[in-house]
Amino acid sequence: MSSNSLTLAPAPRSEAAEQLRAEVREFLAAELAAGSFTTHVDTWLSGVDPAFSKKLGERGWLGMTWPKQYGGHERSAMERYAVTEELLAAGAPVAAHWIADRQSGPNLLTYGTEKQRQEILPRIAAGECFFVIGMSEPDSGSDLASIRTKATRNGDGDWVVNGAKVWTSNAHHSHYGIVLVRTSPSDSANRHAGMSQLLIDLSLPGITINPIRILDGGHHFNEVVFEDVVVPGDMLLGEEGNGWHQVTAELAFERSGPERFLSTYPLVAEFGRRVAETGDPAALATLGRLSARILALRQMSLRIAAALDRGELPNIPAALVKDVGTTFEADVIEEVRRVVDVTPSLDSPDPLGRALAEAQLHAPGYTLRGGTNEILRGIVARGLGLR
Amino acid sequence: MSDQDLVVETVRDILGGFEPFALTAERRWDAGLWGALAEAGLTGVGLPEEAGGSGGELADAVAIVRTLAAGAGAVPVAEQLLVAGPALLTADLDLPSPEHPTTFALGDAVTVHPVDNGDGPGRFTLTGTVPDVAWAGVAQHVVVLAPAPAGIEGAVLALVDASSLPATDASNLAGEPRGTLVLDRVGTSGALLTAAQASELRARYALARSVQLAAALEQVLAWTVQYAGERHQFGRPLGKFQAIQMELAEMAGEVTAVTALTDAAVQALDRGENVVLAAAAAKVRAGAAVEVVARLAHQVHGAIGFTQEHKLHHLTRRLWSWRDEAGSDLAWSRVLGAGVLAGGPDALWPALTRVV
Repeated sequence: MSSNSLTLAPAPRSEAAEQLRAEVREFLAAELAAGSFTTHVDTWLSGVDPAFSKKLGERGWLGMTWPKQYGGHERSAMERYAVTEELLAAGAPVAAHWIADRQSGPNLLTYGTEKQRQEILPRIAAGECFFVIGMSEPDSGSDLASIRTKATRNGDGDWVVNGAKVWTSNAHHSHYGIVLVRTSPSDSANRHAGMSQLLIDLSLPGITINPIRILDGGHHFNEVVFEDVVVPGDMLLGEEGNGWHQVTAELAFERSGPERFLSTYPLVAEFGRRVAETGDPAALATLGRLSARILALRQMSLRIAAALDRGELPNIPAALVKDVGTTFEADVIEEVRRVVDVTPSLDSPDPLGRALAEAQLHAPGYTLRGGTNEILRGIVARGLGLR
Repeated sequence: MSDQDLVVETVRDILGGFEPFALTAERRWDAGLWGALAEAGLTGVGLPEEAGGSGGELADAVAIVRTLAAGAGAVPVAEQLLVAGPALLTADLDLPSPEHPTTFALGDAVTVHPVDNGDGPGRFTLTGTVPDVAWAGVAQHVVVLAPAPAGIEGAVLALVDASSLPATDASNLAGEPRGTLVLDRVGTSGALLTAAQASELRARYALARSVQLAAALEQVLAWTVQYAGERHQFGRPLGKFQAIQMELAEMAGEVTAVTALTDAAVQALDRGENVVLAAAAAKVRAGAAVEVVARLAHQVHGAIGFTQEHKLHHLTRRLWSWRDEAGSDLAWSRVLGAGVLAGGPDALWPALTRVV
């Protein structure tokens, strides 16, 4: 019963996904017991651990939905959902491969050349090749169509790139970027025309990666500066001038996953431990309310995974889930604070105080990254027929 | 078109002949609407024919309840189709004729005594007050869930003939009857339920309200989007203002969350799973959405929505009531909080992934 175009059909139950979930849970318990990682908040941004990514690749948990000929495993989006959800809930260090597995790989599958697919996709699936997103610029945030990074053809048919990209998470650990550039001058009559995506090897001469520290002092963001970087002509991704359309398709993957409501789940888990210990009725009710929100978000996100399995690109529902989910991620902090006596500190001996500190210092990012909630609500408003 | 689409269309056709009205002490329900639904066999849907019902699936009954909730139909259909009827079936008790409204009530303060009058087991007397009885004074029968007699585990489900019993005139924020039933050694047929069956029934009651909440929330969003498209200020429709778009998008997020979770809980019920935590979650999530959706709907509608001249109040007043009925928001939040911790302090996540 849909009252608007935002509604997706309920997700069918996937026994295969539940079986896989159990395997991942067992793996994570063993890794935690062996001390191979410790749980943190928001690890899909900050938990870079190439060795851990490689272990996931060995188990077949990266590139899960891709064709086997490119190193994939031909699993369903529902199965991938179960794996990613378990990794996030455990606060495991998944940042190194996250972007490549989530959106760069699918982007290459759709728009890459055969050579690019054969060379790069198996390495992503093995957990050995990491990507960054090259969209935002110093003067272009929500207004992505205003980007100025420019690529022009030289006499050899190669691209010469000049400009700068910012907020490029983990560029200093990554191998490639998929970079949105202007390949024709901007046209005020058609702002979305004249853009293209380039697949850029981040080790090319002329690329400088400068750290930008976030609130907790962590180095995840970077400014990536391109100065006369010569990119081989065959590294154009997809069609020249089709960049806007390709970016939009990528966003369905970028905006729809469980990382859009589970970034602060490790804080919820610590809170749950505290409530179990104290039995405080007010805190118990708060845990119930937070649980109800998580359970609703899971169903919303599962519907998107099911839609991806049907071959749809549900951009509008994905924007809506991301709005609701990231709002939740930040709300957890206040909900916990209202019912527990705790002081946030990264140095706290209390794990709840540490989780709260991590969640708080990362909080502004939840509702900004991947499209601000204002932009997302604009997309939802379009889905409601208001634009 | 699915089977449910046909059911929905039938209910909508009938609803079309009965405008919602502000319920008062003089006109406490829509007897005409009930009569039309009963005549079409819709007050027995989801209940087996051999038990006197009209047959059909749970999904059909849910579709009827949703459609009536969205249309602010003042009839005890959710109680009868989703709670009282299935409760009687669970207890192996006879169903009253579906034409006679039967409701459900939690009689936690009722004292039950078994009666052995030579007819064998299954007769009880009930004494005490039953507060917040949905459609008290309207329903001819009340299915009461009460604690089992002293010394016996579990609960008693009793079918009380309420046609000659006094009920107070209390109503909820929407004017729907929610009176107190006073029982003084009232003899009834009944059956013993296990504690597990009793908590499943409470969950069913909460889930029935969640289904109504979800449908009403969707309708309020639809009305508000429509109003924002029609109402012009400063020379353009309200919906063209970004500030209004942000509010409508926020409403849509809440509505989508409630629908997704409620649908999942209903499907779990249909699969025969234990839905205590799923129902708790659906109810709590819907309750949280009511705050946002009703507030923003009224904000967008402006002054006219704050009056009985406009239809909005039929649903917003119900939303504010339903979220604390069939167990308050606070009570279900605690049930869910305790439930997801039942496996221990380190098993919260596995518990969450098992709820629905």
